[in-house]
Amino acid sequence: MKQLTEIQTKALKDLICRIADDELILGHRNSEWTALVPILEEDIAFSSMAQDKIGHSLALYQLLNKLGEPDPDAIAFTRKEKDFKCCHLVEYPIGDYDFSLMRHFLFDKSEAIRFDLLSRSSFEDLANIAKKFRGELKYHTMHADTWLVQLGNATEESKARMQSALNQCFPLALGIFEPGEYDEVLSSENIFPGEKVLQGMWLDSIKIILDSANLSIPDIDTSDRSYGGRKGYHTEYLKPLLDEMTEVYSIDPNAEW
Amino acid sequence: MSIKSLDPRITREQLPDESDNNPIKELHQWQTYEVFHQSKKGDRHIHVGSLHAPNAEMAILLAKEQYARRYKCVNLWVVKTSDVFITDYDDEDMFEANQEKMYREAGGYKVMDRINKFKTEHKKN
Amino acid sequence: MYGGGYIFEESKNGHSEEEDQIKLQKFEERIAAGEKIEPSDWMPAEYRKQLIRMIEQHAHSEIIGALPEGTWITRAPGFRRKLALMAKVQDEVGHAQLLYSAAETLGKPREQMINDLITGKSKYSNVFNYPAVTWADTAVIAWLIDAGAIINQVANSKGSYGPYCRALERICLEESFHLKYGHDNVVFLATGTSQQRQMVQDALIRWWPPIMHFFGPSDKISVHTETLMRWKVKMASNDDMRQKFLDMYVPKIWELGLTIPDPKLKKNNETGKWEYTEPDWEEFKRVINGDGPCNKERLAVRRRAEEKGEWVRNALLRPSEKYTVPLS
Repeated sequence: MKQLTEIQTKALKDLICRIADDELILGHRNSEWTALVPILEEDIAFSSMAQDKIGHSLALYQLLNKLGEPDPDAIAFTRKEKDFKCCHLVEYPIGDYDFSLMRHFLFDKSEAIRFDLLSRSSFEDLANIAKKFRGELKYHTMHADTWLVQLGNATEESKARMQSALNQCFPLALGIFEPGEYDEVLSSENIFPGEKVLQGMWLDSIKIILDSANLSIPDIDTSDRSYGGRKGYHTEYLKPLLDEMTEVYSIDPNAEW
Repeated sequence: MSIKSLDPRITREQLPDESDNNPIKELHQWQTYEVFHQSKKGDRHIHVGSLHAPNAEMAILLAKEQYARRYKCVNLWVVKTSDVFITDYDDEDMFEANQEKMYREAGGYKVMDRINKFKTEHKKN
Repeated sequence: MYGGGYIFEESKNGHSEEEDQIKLQKFEERIAAGEKIEPSDWMPAEYRKQLIRMIEQHAHSEIIGALPEGTWITRAPGFRRKLALMAKVQDEVGHAQLLYSAAETLGKPREQMINDLITGKSKYSNVFNYPAVTWADTAVIAWLIDAGAIINQVANSKGSYGPYCRALERICLEESFHLKYGHDNVVFLATGTSQQRQMVQDALIRWWPPIMHFFGPSDKISVHTETLMRWKVKMASNDDMRQKFLDMYVPKIWELGLTIPDPKLKKNNETGKWEYTEPDWEEFKRVINGDGPCNKERLAVRRRAEEKGEWVRNALLRPSEKYTVPLS
C-alpha cells in the first residue's frame, strides 16, 4: 500500500481501535474467571483464551503506536471511557458460565471471520497481525462450538440456560457490527470490507452451530441492536471496569511497573 | 451480609458471610482420559498425564490447553482410561532379560576370534 | 506454587500388624535402592494414607494459592504484568489439576478431595490464608513463596511415589517462570519510585512471618516423621528447607536494600546456619485450624465455584460412563 492519506489513516486508526478495545475489554472480562471456573481443566482453557485476547489487543495497540498514537500501556490504561470504542457485548459482567460461554461463542465467531478478512487487507501490517493469530482463533472457535453443541443438546436445564443466554447476548452481539464512520473508505481501499459484510458472514456461520445446538436465533429484525459503543457511548459497566483495571497503574502512570 | 473481599471479583460474587460446613451432596465426576503428546512429526506420542472430561471431544479440547500450552506439540491423542489394559507389576519378572537368549541378540554373535585364527592359519600355508 | 508444612497425621499404632512383613521389607528395600513406587504396586496402608494426605494438601494449596494473587488479576498495571499474572495464576490451577490426578491414582476421587477441602476436613498451605493487600504483595508472593515452593518441590520430586514425582517435574519447570517473574516484579518496585519502594517494603513486612511459617513447624515440635523419611514421602526436614531458603534469598532481598522484619536474623558463620526469631507456632496452628484472616473467604470461593459448575457437570454426565482412577 502506498503512503496513507489523512482520511485513510483516520479510518485505519478507527478500525484498529475498535477491534483492539473489544479484545482488551473481553480479555479482561474473561480473565475474571481465572481460578474461579467451575471445572478445573476448563479454567485453564478459558484463561489461555483470555490471555490470547489481551495479546491481540496489545499487537493492535502497537500498530496504533506505529501510526502515531501513544504506547500501548498509555492507550489501554490512561484513556477516558468516552475514548474507548468497544461494543457493549464485551462490557457486561461475566455472569454465570452460560452467559460467558455464549458471549465467547458469538464474539469469537465474529473475530475469527474478521481476522480472516483482515488477513487479506491491503494494509500489510494489519494483514500480518491477522495471519499471526489464525491458529489461536481456530482453537477459540473450536472450543466455543464444542461447548455450545454439547450443552445445547444435554439436559433441560442446560438447554434453557443456553437459550436464555443467547437471547440476552444476541442484540448485544449485533452491536459488534455497528456501522463505522469510515466503512466506505476502508472497503474502497481494500483495507476491510466493512461491518455489514462481516455481519452477514457471521450470521451464516453462527447459524450452522446454533442449529446443531438446537438453539433458536432471535429474530434479527425485531432485535434491539445495541449500538453506541463504537462512538464512545457505553453501558454502565465500562466505567467501573476501567477504574478497576487502572487502579494500580494510575497510582503513578509515569512509574515503571 | 456478603463477604467484602480485597478481590473485587470475589466481592461481586456476593458470597455468604457465614461459614457452611456441609459437603456438596452429590459427587458428579466425569470419566478420566489419558493424554498422549507428540512434540514433532516423526517423534513418538508420549503419555503426559490424565484429565477429567465427559467425552472424547471435550477431552481433546481440555487436553490442548492443560498439556500443550507450554510445550511444542503437533498432535494429541486422548484415550479413555477404562479402555487401557495394563500388565501387573507383580508380573514384572516376565520381562526379565534371559541371558540364555543370546541367540537373538546382536551381541550373541562374535566371530572375529574365529576369523583371526583362520587368517593366521591360512597365512602359514 | 505449593503447600509447605504438610500436616502429617501421627499414626496410632504404626502400620497395621496385618501388613505382610515380607512385602513390607521388599517395599522398603526397593525404596532404599532408589526405585519408584507405582500406583498398582503393593504399598503399606499408612504409606498410601500419608501420600494421599500430602498430595491432596499440595493440590489444595495450588487451587487456593491461586486466590491471593488472583486478587490483583483485574488490576495488574500494564500489559506485561497483566499477561504474566494471568499466566501465572493459570499455572497454579494447572498444577492443582496435575496434583489431584496424582492423588487420584492412590484411590481418592477428585470430587471427594474437593469436598474435603470445602468442608475444612483437609488442609492447605497456611500462607494462603493471608491477604494480598496491595499489588506489591503479589510480587512478594510470586517471588518468595514460589521460591520456597521450588525448594520443597525439588526435594519432593526425588521422593518415592512415581506419579507425584512426574507431576512435580513438570511443575518445577513452570515454577522457574514464576520465580523470575516474581523477582522481576519485586526489583521493579524496589528500584522504582519511593512510593513503589514503600509498597514492596510494606508487603515484605506483612509476608515475612507467613514465609517463615511456610516450611512448617520446627523439627523440634514437628510430628515424628522418621518412617515417612525412610519411605521417601517426606524428603527434607522443615528446618533444613528453611535454612536453604534463607541462604538463597536473604542476600537477594538485602541487595535490594529492603528490610526484613526480624532484628535477630543473621548468619552464624561458625555453624553456617541462619539464626532468627522463632516463628509464632501458636499462630500457625490457629490459622491452619481455620482462624486466619482469609480462611472463610478462600473456602467460600471454592464452594461457590463448585456450586456454579453443578449444572455444567450434570449436563454432560452420562450414567453409562463410569469414573475410572487415572493411570499414572
